[in-house]
Amino acid sequence: MPGDSHMPSLEYMIQIEGLTKRYGEKTAVDNVSFTVQPGRVTGFLGPNGAGKSTTMRMIVGLDRPTHGTVTVGGKRYTDLVAPLREVGALLDAKAIHTGRTAYNHLLAMAATHGIPKARVHEVIAMTGLESVAGKRVGGFSLGMGQRLGIAAALLGDPGTLILDEPVNGLDPEGVVWVRKLARHYAAEGRTVFLSSHLMSEMAQTADHIVVLGRGRVLADAPVAEILNGATHNSVRVRTPQAQLLAERIAGPDITISSTEAGVLEIAGITAVQIGEAAAASGVVLHELTPVSASLEEAYLELTHDDVEYRTEVSR
Amino acid sequence: MTATTPAAPTATGPTLNVTPLGDIRLRFSGIVRSEWIKLRSLRSTVWCYGLIVLLTIGFGALLALTFSHSGPSLTADQNNAIMVQVATLGVNFTQLIVAVLGALVITGEYSTGMIRSTFAAAPGRIGAYIGKAVVLAVSTFVIGLVSIVATALVALPLLAGKSIHPALFDWSVMLPLIGGAGYLTLIALLAFTFGTMVRSSAGAIASILGLLLVVPTVLRIISNLTQAAWIQNVAAFLPSEAGGKIFAYQDSVAGAPTQTVTHTAGLVDLTSWEGLAVLVGWVLVFGVLAAVLVKRRDA
Repeated sequence: MPGDSHMPSLEYMIQIEGLTKRYGEKTAVDNVSFTVQPGRVTGFLGPNGAGKSTTMRMIVGLDRPTHGTVTVGGKRYTDLVAPLREVGALLDAKAIHTGRTAYNHLLAMAATHGIPKARVHEVIAMTGLESVAGKRVGGFSLGMGQRLGIAAALLGDPGTLILDEPVNGLDPEGVVWVRKLARHYAAEGRTVFLSSHLMSEMAQTADHIVVLGRGRVLADAPVAEILNGATHNSVRVRTPQAQLLAERIAGPDITISSTEAGVLEIAGITAVQIGEAAAASGVVLHELTPVSASLEEAYLELTHDDVEYRTEVSR
Repeated sequence: MTATTPAAPTATGPTLNVTPLGDIRLRFSGIVRSEWIKLRSLRSTVWCYGLIVLLTIGFGALLALTFSHSGPSLTADQNNAIMVQVATLGVNFTQLIVAVLGALVITGEYSTGMIRSTFAAAPGRIGAYIGKAVVLAVSTFVIGLVSIVATALVALPLLAGKSIHPALFDWSVMLPLIGGAGYLTLIALLAFTFGTMVRSSAGAIASILGLLLVVPTVLRIISNLTQAAWIQNVAAFLPSEAGGKIFAYQDSVAGAPTQTVTHTAGLVDLTSWEGLAVLVGWVLVFGVLAAVLVKRRDA
């Protein structure tokens, strides 16, 4: 019976208050406050270097906050009686000794909490590592290392699951598996907190999203709300009489831009209205396409000014 | 290595908990068991300990085979001293191995990132730190003692062939043999504290080997040049010099009341127990320092 030994409740909530982490002059996490609720998948989204990993490391007590507090179920991680039981964390696929076999790594982790060997075999089977469990981790691919990290996170059948970039290096099958795992855990009432720098990944997995940029929370809302808030729908119009059409539909709330000759990007007016206006003034239309901003664009818009390393091309 | 497919997700999702975990919790005994699994599951550990056994017995047997004496028959003390020398000769070499091993036990975790898994499982950190030290100490002591005693047993018939008959099970012999294992253990622990502070294998190994090999040599050269007694006295408190007393045969039967520091022409000469106390002091000082750093630093 999945999870029947657990009575998940609000005790697994992650609460972050005024969390700040400075490394010398550099502020990695800047006065961040939010909560991660049980029973849903919370996505932690942000460009590389936004402070996602640092925040996650502070949750499990690996990094010491400069200011602020973070608690899991009302307790600091370091005060937990059974840390692996409360929180399973994949923080870094490389947080495993390369000279040890996958099985021995899991066995050693399990031993700290007296987790039975049967559970070790179980997480190996769950993550599909049976055939390589006896091999040393040094020879593992990124994807296999990732699976081993997830296996270790699942050892204590934790009430809170924290996964930092879990799908990195996974094959498509593995990506789907992680998505199902996250959904399943959340459906059982557990807390699931996953980070990614890819909006598309989050949109398929998360119910709620916290967006981080340059160490600050840019958004903290349900997925749908984030998309709607940032989406600005527009209409692409291809016409040989661009000038004329632009004059006819011009108005105070309407923005018209053009990226190439004969093509207009029009926002603030529907495709129907544009078509009718064109017909009324005898303008020939070659194309009339409503364009909704993709999830990716919504995310880019949110983090536009907060990307630390930006390529010239992406501007 | 592509034959890895995730377990087929069920209709509701991946299969999860089947094994009841009951009331599991983090315990120090669990940490010690975990560290024991970690220590024995690395090839470097097995190699290091295997090499210690081989070198100890090898060097001892070689010395016993090539030993020769002429002249009047030896006193009981001389017989015993030869046995101690034979059985502990290897310690001079194996101390370098345990130094490397002691450093690697912790720096191997820092260099691979394993330390984050370790500290996430045992977030108090000091428990994991002490657990590692306990496992390293016990393993090193047992391997050290077994190899030294085995060497003595191998050497016994070889020496008997040269009319050397030590009283192996006399305390005056047994104590230095046990001391040899104790010395290896303390050097391993000292290296472990260095590794914890430095966090890099190369840095930790360089500093512990420097302390064991280079510093005594440099001090000896300087004292030879200057004839300054105080430099020799400083050198007497180095881990290798003070620690060397722990496995040296003492004519005055061991177990006698602890002697005070004896001054021979203004030079410090530590007894076995004093040497032990000095080396334990080194380990404790650096051990506390390393513990403070472990607790304070980000992992």
